[in-house]
Amino acid sequence: MGDFKEVTAGNKPFKKAYVAIMLWFVGRAIQAAARVDKDVKKEFEKLPEDFTFCLGVLPKGPYMIVGKNEKGRVKYLGWKPGGKRIDLDMKIKGIEAAILMFTFQESTTVATARDRMIVDGEVPYACAIVRVLDIGEVYLLPKFIARLAVKRYPVWSFSRKYIGRVRIYFRSILGY
Amino acid sequence: MYLPEYYEFCCRVKIIAGHDALEKIPEALEQLHAGRPLIITDKGVSAAGLANIVTEAIKDGVTIGAITDDVPQDSSLKIVNQLAGMYRDNDCDSIIAVGGGSVMDTAKGVNIVVSENADDLMKFSGAGALKKALKPLVVIPTTSGTGSEVTLVAVVKDHERHLKMAFVSYFLLPNVAILDSRMTLTLPPVITAATAMDAMAHAVEAYTGLAKNPMSDANAIAAISLISDNLLKVIKNPSDREGRLALANGATLAGAAFSNSMVGVVHTLGHATGSVCGVPHGVCMSILLPYGLEYNMHKNAHFTGELLLPLAGVEVYAGTPKHLRAEGTVAYIRKMNRDIHDATDGGHARFFEEVRDRDGRRMVPREKLEDIARAALDDGSIFYNPEECDYEDFLMIIKAAWEGAPLDRELIKKG
Amino acid sequence: MFFPDNYEFYCPVKINSGNKALEHLPVELDALNAVKPLILTDRVVVKKGLIRRITSAFKDSGITMDIFDGIPQAPDLKLVRRLMNIYRDTGCDSIIAVGGGAVVDTAKALDIVVSGKPEDLRDVAGNDLIKNPLGPLVFVPTASGTGFETSGFAALGGMVFSSRFLMPDLVVIDPRMITSEKADAVVATSMIALAHCAEAYTCPAKNPMIDTYAYPAMQFIGENLVNVIKSGDRKGRLALANAATMAGIVFSGTSRGIIHELGWTVDDISGHSHGICMGILLPYALEYNINSEGYHMSDMLLPIAGPEIYAGTAKNLRARKAINFIYDMQHDIHDISKGGIPLTLKDAGISKDALQGIAGAAVGDGHTGFNMDDCMVILEHAWEGKPIISF
Repeated sequence: MGDFKEVTAGNKPFKKAYVAIMLWFVGRAIQAAARVDKDVKKEFEKLPEDFTFCLGVLPKGPYMIVGKNEKGRVKYLGWKPGGKRIDLDMKIKGIEAAILMFTFQESTTVATARDRMIVDGEVPYACAIVRVLDIGEVYLLPKFIARLAVKRYPVWSFSRKYIGRVRIYFRSILGY
Repeated sequence: MYLPEYYEFCCRVKIIAGHDALEKIPEALEQLHAGRPLIITDKGVSAAGLANIVTEAIKDGVTIGAITDDVPQDSSLKIVNQLAGMYRDNDCDSIIAVGGGSVMDTAKGVNIVVSENADDLMKFSGAGALKKALKPLVVIPTTSGTGSEVTLVAVVKDHERHLKMAFVSYFLLPNVAILDSRMTLTLPPVITAATAMDAMAHAVEAYTGLAKNPMSDANAIAAISLISDNLLKVIKNPSDREGRLALANGATLAGAAFSNSMVGVVHTLGHATGSVCGVPHGVCMSILLPYGLEYNMHKNAHFTGELLLPLAGVEVYAGTPKHLRAEGTVAYIRKMNRDIHDATDGGHARFFEEVRDRDGRRMVPREKLEDIARAALDDGSIFYNPEECDYEDFLMIIKAAWEGAPLDRELIKKG
Repeated sequence: MFFPDNYEFYCPVKINSGNKALEHLPVELDALNAVKPLILTDRVVVKKGLIRRITSAFKDSGITMDIFDGIPQAPDLKLVRRLMNIYRDTGCDSIIAVGGGAVVDTAKALDIVVSGKPEDLRDVAGNDLIKNPLGPLVFVPTASGTGFETSGFAALGGMVFSSRFLMPDLVVIDPRMITSEKADAVVATSMIALAHCAEAYTCPAKNPMIDTYAYPAMQFIGENLVNVIKSGDRKGRLALANAATMAGIVFSGTSRGIIHELGWTVDDISGHSHGICMGILLPYALEYNINSEGYHMSDMLLPIAGPEIYAGTAKNLRARKAINFIYDMQHDIHDISKGGIPLTLKDAGISKDALQGIAGAAVGDGHTGFNMDDCMVILEHAWEGKPIISF
């Protein structure tokens, strides 16, 4: 009887790879921004000493983890959440939802409003991290894209915006 | 009707409303295959005689397993575990919660413990940790405001470990919410006003926020219309049963709207003012609501304007030119606050400078406004607000709401 | 705003609608504690390539699913038994019905048997005989359906089931699944939806919770139906699918009105679908009750015509205007379809002699509460296409 079959869901390796690269870059950019930008620095200073947060895609990744080490420095901690204690866990509901976000069709705000994220953890942490991500987006993205990604495009000095941007790009790629 | 690119809506709570809705609890429990409830309430509710009304109404139809009014102001893990023990010792098979937010949070916590046989509640905190239906839970709100009878969230504090555990799951939605006019009949006018304006703020912010959707919108419109039609009537005539039931309906509808579409800056600042100065939540909501609408108006005047219809009625709506309706909505809410202020002999505050505690002391000193603005930065409701809000923005709004002057919309940084 | 002294309302259905809605399915199944769905559908859906969209939505989830795509127009008990065996043998724990009508009826019947004992099916045919929640049931609409998919009703092999437990746990409305469809199918679905909502919204037993589903549904239909027929507008089709979903829920929240009683019988003897027949009857039945005690006809103008028209119409003319709005809508549709969609029972192929019999069937043994005269007035006017009250 040809009307019944069993199917195992396939994979989307290219989309997954793309999201993984974007997450890697975002993680390193946050690490860089925490050294370069005074607002990001301040946000992290207010967070607890060994704070970690994870941004990832359900059900099996990719992920990225960022946290503060024992010296209080913000570090990109890789892509494996296994075994780590996570204070703030932000999960995107699926790879397609992640693609919408990382191709900038949906901003973090819009994705949240459309129920595409599950956030676990203390709300004040989430507020701080969303502000950090917003600042990160302003640094990393050209204005015409970033304007869609944040609710209000900030007015920054020339040096903060352009020199800061170059420094963060360099540090993200070189990883220091 | 606005149809967003994507939305989700769910309100899996059975609503039983009426002047004798309590009497239908035994039947509702029977449908859930239960008949031996643990009744959870607090001292305030039982002192007002409400727990008594409930037990009288159901005692012929069910066997009450146990009844407790030990819930403190703030839900705590200790009391949750204690009540779970009571549930087990008395062979209960369901829970009836009578009261406000903390009673419902406690009941939900107890329900997790007894359903999952949990020795550590922490295991089930966070989003999506619960995987199956819990024991039957019937909730009976005793104010018409919070809407927690239709929310999927519970917060329980562990005072020993200094932890705040939040639980989010559709399985935390109560099975049944009972809206009975007897439960709010004795609520004093000032509290009636504050709680109803709390519900109003839920509906208005859900309708004008970023996560609005057609189902929430319809709930919000109905809620606003019921509250606007009935609030002043009930304040002037507290024993108006019809009006009381209408407000209870309004609060539940508003609860369904905001638990799906969330809230915005009014709640952000309201929560902050509550935690810094101890101002009751509903009071914060009624004062801040027009300011939140003004702050966001350049982004959503269209939606704000649509609310003039359920708020002020069709004559006012038709008589107001389209481009002035958003301002009309704000003006109407301010007028509601003034009218309630007059009808309660000044008991209902119109701005924060006016808010007094029981001993007549000012609750919001001017020098606390900076603290409020700072605390607002830690509140998640701002995610769903149309416009960005930083420290200076919060401070500008709270200052205006303190003085009672309308917001100068020229000064708003527009994104 | 009206609300009754006493009412009860329950809707277990979660609605997910819009862009990439299908891709949320793995997370939603997880929330329903399910990992292995049985997908039910028919050949038409497969031919349109829609099942591929579902399986693709599960990519990266690691989920294995079973697909049965041979649901016929008239499913029977034998099929349900076979599906039950598949469900049990393959270890499924949830059902996803893709499509409408028979697919959903089968899914509901299957949900009954896999949640209990197979021989239960006959025992629970009837009203409210199912006493326990059933297994997870997800419904993915594709274009038009019968209008009863999201309700608590199911019909299969001559049996009718009615229970709130038959309402799906989740409806996933994804624009990629709402493909274009012939005008009469779209009209049929939307007219049933409108009939569900208009009856519930205007009847004396209305309540605010039902209204919250009826209100957006009517507004979506009023705003979009004619446009969709005219231009196939994509966003409009999504809005109509939303309306149909909400309307099914409305139907399960109220008792059946006169339009439904008459509509069932007319449909049996005319060559047209149930929805088209109900559409023809709708304005006449509403008009019949325009001045009846306890009805809320004028309130209907707000959802169906929108706030501007509502606010611009004098109070005493609103009921009339609402009904005329439906008449106008139907004339527009009639014109766009170049007469293909009938406006009167006469055009729908009903002979005048048959009216008496239709009315008789609707009155039945009297349990419906309608009388012969009421039914005949509505039927005769709908046959001729002449409004009951002329202004």
